[in-house]
Amino acid sequence: MIQLTHVWKKYQIDDDVVFTALKDISLTIEKGEFSSLIGPSGSGKSTLMHIIGLLDKSSDGEVLIEGRNTAELSDDEISTLRNEFVGFVFQQFNLINKLTIKENILLPTTYARKKIEYDPGKKADEIMERFGILEKANSYPNRISGGQQQRVAIARALIMSPSLILADEPTGNLDTKTGDEIMKLLSQLNKEDNITVLIVTHEQDIAAKTKRKIQIVDGKIA
Amino acid sequence: MGFIRSAFFDFSRNKGRTFLTSLGILIGVMAVVLLTAFGLGLRAYIEQQFEDLGSNLIRVVPGNPLEGGSFSNLGSYITIEFDEKDVQNLSRIRDVKIIVPVYSKTINMVAGNNKESSTIYASTEGIFTTLNVKAEYGRLFTDQEVDKRSKVIVIGPTLAADLFSSAKNAVGKSVKFEGQKYMVIGVTEKKGGGGFGGPDFDTFTYMPYKTAFTFNTEKTFMVIILQAKNDQDIKPVIKQVEEILSKRYEEEEFSVIQQEELLTAINSIFGVVNTVLVAIAAISLIVGGIGIMNIMYVTVTERIKEIGIRRALGARKSDILIQFLVASVILSLIGGIAGLTVSYIIVLFIQAYFPAYIDLNSVLLAIGVSSAIGIIFGVFPAKKAADLSPIDAIRYE
Repeated sequence: MIQLTHVWKKYQIDDDVVFTALKDISLTIEKGEFSSLIGPSGSGKSTLMHIIGLLDKSSDGEVLIEGRNTAELSDDEISTLRNEFVGFVFQQFNLINKLTIKENILLPTTYARKKIEYDPGKKADEIMERFGILEKANSYPNRISGGQQQRVAIARALIMSPSLILADEPTGNLDTKTGDEIMKLLSQLNKEDNITVLIVTHEQDIAAKTKRKIQIVDGKIA
Repeated sequence: MGFIRSAFFDFSRNKGRTFLTSLGILIGVMAVVLLTAFGLGLRAYIEQQFEDLGSNLIRVVPGNPLEGGSFSNLGSYITIEFDEKDVQNLSRIRDVKIIVPVYSKTINMVAGNNKESSTIYASTEGIFTTLNVKAEYGRLFTDQEVDKRSKVIVIGPTLAADLFSSAKNAVGKSVKFEGQKYMVIGVTEKKGGGGFGGPDFDTFTYMPYKTAFTFNTEKTFMVIILQAKNDQDIKPVIKQVEEILSKRYEEEEFSVIQQEELLTAINSIFGVVNTVLVAIAAISLIVGGIGIMNIMYVTVTERIKEIGIRRALGARKSDILIQFLVASVILSLIGGIAGLTVSYIIVLFIQAYFPAYIDLNSVLLAIGVSSAIGIIFGVFPAKKAADLSPIDAIRYE
């Protein structure tokens, strides 16, 4: 489903200082995997996730998404892939505070280019019910707990029925118990909904809950 | 979903800022709309004054009033005066419907204990047709009364009311001026006018020109008005008038003026003046637009994170561009509509003193221009927002 070959990411920091965040990464992620990218902070795991999630571009190498070379896609086509193919879950939740919970969940559908076959409002209700946040539908993000906010973020990631969920330190801002619940939820989505899940984390405990651990150290796969 | 709602949410969170930014556009739109309203009112007023005078009119006046800088109705720059012989000569021209010689004088009129000054128009029955004057009470004088030198006058309603407590009472009463007694046989309909140095028709007095010979001892006329039968007769009639009068006078001693020409000349002067004023006012709209641009840049900076989130969820550059353009257009439109509303209220108050009015064009223009300003001054900040790299935007704290 996702194939990276010899991917490099370099940042020009100064006139003659170049920082290399990713060094020659080759990686394949198959459909239905439940994997984790694990490494210490600064190892380049987040950068790798951003490249897989099409938020960032590699400096060198190929990124194939379902066989399509992303380097050849236009900005609009990449936006469409972000909309339909990937669902992001962030450490900071990244909800929009002036929109209600339900509006946040529905936000990706407003950018949909394909015709949505289902009723988005009804689907949002179903997801909220499944995640136990239905009664918060009309609340605002800053009125609910961190755990609830992360459920909203996952619900938002699910609304377009993506093939892949990318979760960047999804438990990083949560206590252990809530974190476990979120991990359970992600694992459930992988098992029951057959969604490919890739989790970025620096915690071994979290990585241990996934089926495949991809270790990143100093921008390289260890 | 709700770009518009989202924009209003931001505005309501920053009420002071929204108000001040819109104020720039409000003032600009108000300046333009009000100046246009005054211009329109003034133009309509002038046109009304001319319309009151009837159509297809040609005036023969001494000298050259257009060059002399005076638009006085009867030509203030008098070099020669016309007489009955001129009237006779001119009446031979074909395609002239009526010919109206006019002698005019300002007199003091006495009725009982009341004394009022009035401008007399001594003429024929035709003056009522050419000036479009009708009787409200009593009747107008006839050409038979002109020939019989009847001592009858028709007076304006304001004058009538000043002399005889009410306009209705004036009919049948007698007044005295220039040493003679005259009977009021009619009071004209109210016509208004009088503001801005224009003539107030309601204080005029009309009398048979032959009767006026008692004080117009030279038997002269300050103006001869001709009414052509048709539009297309105007030019040939003017030519013939010039030919006939050239036999008695030098060419520069008299002018033949077409009513419509005068109106066109005045209108074009007002048009230029008004355009210049509106253009100056439009500068404030540009200043307002720069205010909007400034605030939109601030808004973009404040919302970089949100832009990043939206991009991560699949928003295209154009989606972000439109979102910010909608916000700046709404901001500008709030100012525009408020400016229009304030202008409307001001015009309502002012209408009692000045015939200003806001037409549909001004409304459409104000809304169109403020939308355009929103787009023009919003496009750079919106472009900046759209061109942000998604990853830099979402990482922004």
